[in-house]
Amino acid sequence: MKRSFYLLLCFAVVLMLSQSCTEQQDFGQFEDLSITPTLATGLFYMESDEATINDAGTFGTFYAQTVNFDAFNEEFVADHLIEGTITYEIVNTTSKQLRITIEYLDEAGNTLDGELFNIDADPSGLMTWEVAYGPGGKSLDILANTSNLRLTATNLSDAISVSSQPEPKVKFKSAAEFLFRLK
Amino acid sequence: MRLRSYLVFSVLLGSFTISAQNKELLYDFYEIPQALMVNPGVKTSEKWHVGIPVISGLSFQGATSGVTVNDLFANDGIDFTTKVQERVLDVMTRKDDFSTTSQIEGFTIGFRGRNRPDDYYSFGMYGETDVIVYWPKDLAILAFEGNGGNNIGRRFDLGDLNLRGEMVNVFHFGVNRKMSNTLTVGARAKLYSSIFQFQSIKNSGTFRTTEGQDNIYVTSISADMQLQTAGVKGFYDILEEDTGTTRKDVTSLFTERVLLGGNLGLGFDAGFSYQLTPQTTITGSVLDIGFIYNNKDVWNYTFSGSTSTQGISVYLPEDIDNLDNNLWQELIDDIDEALPHGENTSSYISFRPVKAYGSIRYDFGEGGNNTFDNCGCGVNAGGGGNQDFYRNSIGGQLFMMKRPRGVQAALTGFYQKRFGRGLSLKTTYTIDKYSFTNVGLGLNLQAGPVNFYVLGDNLLSYANVADSHYAFLQFGFNIISWNDN
Repeated sequence: MKRSFYLLLCFAVVLMLSQSCTEQQDFGQFEDLSITPTLATGLFYMESDEATINDAGTFGTFYAQTVNFDAFNEEFVADHLIEGTITYEIVNTTSKQLRITIEYLDEAGNTLDGELFNIDADPSGLMTWEVAYGPGGKSLDILANTSNLRLTATNLSDAISVSSQPEPKVKFKSAAEFLFRLK
Repeated sequence: MRLRSYLVFSVLLGSFTISAQNKELLYDFYEIPQALMVNPGVKTSEKWHVGIPVISGLSFQGATSGVTVNDLFANDGIDFTTKVQERVLDVMTRKDDFSTTSQIEGFTIGFRGRNRPDDYYSFGMYGETDVIVYWPKDLAILAFEGNGGNNIGRRFDLGDLNLRGEMVNVFHFGVNRKMSNTLTVGARAKLYSSIFQFQSIKNSGTFRTTEGQDNIYVTSISADMQLQTAGVKGFYDILEEDTGTTRKDVTSLFTERVLLGGNLGLGFDAGFSYQLTPQTTITGSVLDIGFIYNNKDVWNYTFSGSTSTQGISVYLPEDIDNLDNNLWQELIDDIDEALPHGENTSSYISFRPVKAYGSIRYDFGEGGNNTFDNCGCGVNAGGGGNQDFYRNSIGGQLFMMKRPRGVQAALTGFYQKRFGRGLSLKTTYTIDKYSFTNVGLGLNLQAGPVNFYVLGDNLLSYANVADSHYAFLQFGFNIISWNDN
């Protein structure tokens, strides 16, 4: 009797092993996976002391440079960028009123877009601008077609005043925070 | 691209349908000849045995300590991305792993020495595939969430990338010796013929974006990473060429590697069984203490160095005369230079995953006749103290295995019931990192000289295999003789 019980148990287990089951799985769901990371990076940083600004003279341009900048028109960025924000921060501890412009140029040198910042003399405090791209903001094509940046910094004051701050400087900062769709 | 994504996902998730290497059901189940493979010093009673080629020992194990297939792919109407976020990214840690192990025994033969009946010799060949991939938590979060938003300031650990895998063919020869009525010892020499091996197990470094002192953000990376492969590129090149003879070429290369044509290594197993009292036995074994010297078809990739960047930087007046407009390209070049990455073909040694077992067994319930009356088992054959006389065994087992991130352990309690010579059952309850509800059952059936065994783990999960954290199945056929017939 006991032997029969164990034999029965044995066959039941073998049967169970062969009849194991699984709930219905839908592997097609993988297609619905959405991967959208936000990537942040510093873009362009420029600082200048007050002496350099004075050297440019009244209403003089103390920095003007066009630099190659292919970060945005890399194929990956152009193909996967959904939206983004470029943040500009300016701190001015010089005695000068300044104007800084940044222009986004295509490969042929045509201006696609630009930002103009008028900066008060010290104490200007920290000034922040956020420019949105994508839905609700500027066109992503501006970024996708940008091949060069042109930065121009101009002194709107005289060429002799000196700030009472220790090591007076103007600092132009910028950073990008972009949302990508990887899948 | 899509195909590649499927492949990566399939490797990660598919691995737990087949994985961990604990064979708690087979261990000390001495009625099964393959028990010699997990303890060369197990008590042997056979005169000889021959495994039926290819089907004498087939085992498949798969494990995941984190998410299951069902967690992600159940047809439950929940958004898939939400499931990935809540069931993978939010809960899995760098200690979680996906692992898989499979073994196929090519042939196995055992026989008792004609002049030394105390010795039982065994030899054979088996193939083994073993892969473990730890969940690269920080890298996954970096890919899914990025370094921006709430992750500004977060230190992403590049050391989270940790994986190891190999396919190896093993030729082995072992001796099992009965030293006395109470002590049996054994050892097995192994010659490893590697088919392929890869590992990326000593990575370190961090990736971090923080608020910069000058610019708004500064991004820093420090990395010391390496992927070592041996035997992989040969197969990759054949598949990449995709000629009309691809299948034939793969088969030819595979056969060459199986038959000692690839990278080779050496190793050994050792074990013992000691009878403390007529009814109490302790056993222990260590397996795969060995290495493979990888010097053929080696391809390694390295990535190391450290740098930080805040973007293009201009400092006046220092840069006032710098009219170079290639600042962006210079920045990229500087980063490339600070983070050298490259390939090499340097030889390396890979160590086999060492395993160790220990157990204590208490036998009870006298059966009235010796199960193996006709055994040719030497000095302790037919002795009144032979524990084969007992119909029941109960005990505990400990399993430990060296993994890239430390020792992985499992604790097992078992009960074994013998029904004469023909049938025995063993049931186990095991706890380890994969499951606290792992109940297994093993069956050994002897019909004349034909031996069949089947061992299945984590039976409670069979109601929905896709939701299982651990699955193991082993079965096989042998021909066994206990006498001179």
